[in-house]
Amino acid sequence: MEKLSGYAFIAAALSVGLATFFYLLYAISGLRAARMETAGLPATSGVLGLISGPRTATIGRYATMLAWLGTVALLAGLAFRTIATGHGPFSNMYEFSMAFAFGILIAYLYFERKYHQRILGLVCLPVAMGMMLYAFSVPSEIRPLVPALQNSLLLTVHVATAIVAYGSFAIAFGTSYLYLLQTGSALTVVLATLVGGLAAIVGGVTGDASDGLVYGMSATAITLFVMAIVNRITGGERAPGAAASESPSGRWGLPKPLVLDEIGYRAVVVGFPFMTLTIVLGAVWAQTAWGTYWQWDPKETASLFTWFIYGAFLHARVMRGWRGTRSAWLLILGFLATLLTYFGNLIFGGLHSYSGL
Amino acid sequence: MTEEVHSRPLPPSGAPAAAAVGPTLMTRIDQVLEGLWHLLSSMRVAMIVMLIIAALGVVGALVVQAPTGTLDNPAAKATWLDEIRPRFGGWTNIMDTLQLFQIFNSIYFRILVAALTISLIACSVHRVPGIWRTATKPRVDVGPQFFEHAPQRDAIVVRRTAAETQTIVEAVLRERRYRTQVMGDEVVSVYADRFRWAPIAGLVGHLSLVVILLGGIIGAIFGYRDSGFTVAEGQTLPVASEPGLSIQLLDFTDKYDPVFGGPIDYASQIVVFKDGEEIDRHTILVNDPYRYGSTSIYQAFFGVAAVMTIKDAEGNTLVSTGVPLAWRTTADNRPVGSVTVPGANEVIWLVGTLGSGDNLIKPGQIQVELYTAGEARRIAVDVVDQGVATQLGDLTVTFERESQFTGLNVARDPGVMLVWLGSTLLFFGFSVRFTVPHKRLWARIVNRPNGGAVLAMAALGSRGVAGSSDFDDLVNDMRTALQTPAQN
Repeated sequence: MEKLSGYAFIAAALSVGLATFFYLLYAISGLRAARMETAGLPATSGVLGLISGPRTATIGRYATMLAWLGTVALLAGLAFRTIATGHGPFSNMYEFSMAFAFGILIAYLYFERKYHQRILGLVCLPVAMGMMLYAFSVPSEIRPLVPALQNSLLLTVHVATAIVAYGSFAIAFGTSYLYLLQTGSALTVVLATLVGGLAAIVGGVTGDASDGLVYGMSATAITLFVMAIVNRITGGERAPGAAASESPSGRWGLPKPLVLDEIGYRAVVVGFPFMTLTIVLGAVWAQTAWGTYWQWDPKETASLFTWFIYGAFLHARVMRGWRGTRSAWLLILGFLATLLTYFGNLIFGGLHSYSGL
Repeated sequence: MTEEVHSRPLPPSGAPAAAAVGPTLMTRIDQVLEGLWHLLSSMRVAMIVMLIIAALGVVGALVVQAPTGTLDNPAAKATWLDEIRPRFGGWTNIMDTLQLFQIFNSIYFRILVAALTISLIACSVHRVPGIWRTATKPRVDVGPQFFEHAPQRDAIVVRRTAAETQTIVEAVLRERRYRTQVMGDEVVSVYADRFRWAPIAGLVGHLSLVVILLGGIIGAIFGYRDSGFTVAEGQTLPVASEPGLSIQLLDFTDKYDPVFGGPIDYASQIVVFKDGEEIDRHTILVNDPYRYGSTSIYQAFFGVAAVMTIKDAEGNTLVSTGVPLAWRTTADNRPVGSVTVPGANEVIWLVGTLGSGDNLIKPGQIQVELYTAGEARRIAVDVVDQGVATQLGDLTVTFERESQFTGLNVARDPGVMLVWLGSTLLFFGFSVRFTVPHKRLWARIVNRPNGGAVLAMAALGSRGVAGSSDFDDLVNDMRTALQTPAQN
């Protein structure tokens, strides 16, 4: 079963990798089609025959089919792993990262089906892929549960709710990313992605996965900070106001900003109660295992920080009508906090360190 | 106070200027209080406080925090600060002054939590009248302008009279479980809503945070916690939180995986006594504490103990028990424990070995140090072999054998039920708030001069930018229901 699980995970990674490639083609093809439409050319006369309107839809369908295939393979891998271990596949970073990738994929497919916005896959699938690659970089052997984790019910429910929350937040991150690309923050977003990604690769190659994470997140944060100052001094990128956020159509063949804004909000509405439940169940478990429901353990603190950010987002949106660029940046910050919560124990240690969780 | 100000008679026209000071002062106080109320009930202030708390949380996660109680004891504090000084260098004392090593117990963190609590209560109180008014006395007639500017709006021209249209509109709304209120004859105004009490869930969600904080405060003030309750195998100790209760450790077991070497089980077998009578036996595991009354006992840690026999000069046995070596010496990190000699003003400290490479205290030996209890003056010290009776002052000390102790966490928290209640309310409150919106719809039906009527409908909230909204669905239902047979 352990071997079967491993094969299924490899199949899932290949499918998701291929799906990511198809989503990229889909985006390029959509961009070209959008340009041709703007230029008044018929959308079906692509130069290479690859970038026409109907072809765009076909590539998108293939991308979605591959994403489904990857999700099913991942589910099978998790199921085999559960049978092999005798408990939910959440007891170490290998299992949890695979489950996190599954959470992202299932959330993506749900939102794609509900809102028909395939292009979200361009951002969300690489995040899922990153999680799976990270999982392959950590030990995968099945070990007996340490005493603190020997609570099958809470282990399953506490971590499963976290996966739903994290998966939903990844979708909100995807929508915000595409939103900011279109509304005047493109340079900042692209630069932060490139610098952060490069730093993560350098850190991962020269050190280990946690070094890559620390390097990547630090470089991203520094780039965002520097760009914020540069933009402030130079007047930089166009600060989009309400008019930009209410732009009737998307740029570069991307969905309309308003649609992205709405999907991001819906994703947080799904994820926030699950994040609340994750923290509450964690407190219940801490009370059962250690006799205290809250100890300001780094992972606890990071999860509370994440909860506050998404709580602030929902408040700002519902009570004060915050939309657009400001909320998109808040969701980007929220997802960085989510990653900090997820990987925090690798950086800070603490009570969750026993199994890398 | 506000009423008092406004009911006060105006001063006579010829009154001295000083007489005007009273009302001006009261007005100022009124303004200050009003400003304070606005500040406290401001969502922006609450959010800023929340984000500052979150930011402090990150600082607390990044900067090492002192173990509970360490900084309350000057000696322990100095030792602990010396331990971390190599990491922070000259910043150590500055960071200590800024309370960065105890950020979650710092004065400013407590002030922020208090401010957040007050703000949450004020925000909730501030919103109650509006929610109540909207639910019980909604505005039915909103005027024609609303139907031209509402974010969601539509109009249908029908071949029916206003009265017929009203009947059908109400029927459609009732079918969709909306409550309706109607007013007017010539121009009919219809208000419909669903889930009108749902906004209360948001208040519940906010106040649940106050309930959780209250639970935490009650636990901190009236609760009991001993995180270092150590019992050696065979030893019996009283539990301070429950008068008359004592526990004896029969056996401690730690099991390890033979392949990977990781721990798989920590188990403390205990016997529970109440007023000297055995009342229970239990095996405490990490996820299976022992509960008696309101006290719970959790498995926390374990270590080496030394079984000692101590006799006086007449050969009477004073001590024959296991002594947990639960602490470590600061100099060389050796396990250390102590036992008070009954009937003598003396304390014996036991220092254990570091293992096979230790030349000072070899495996199978223990260092015994005899002190006076009051002034902690050392009387004698010796390294003794296992099983060999050794004279130390007036006492004969024998290190019988090595055993284990268990470290338990004894806790009684009367606030914990409030924490769980608050957590439940928090989850359901926010879940309902964000998934069950208060749906409101206004309609206006006006007869047309040449027959038929115009039905205008409007709602607040954004149009379904990412798919059809409830409003769109409702309009479609209306359109279908209002079609005359000839139109079908």
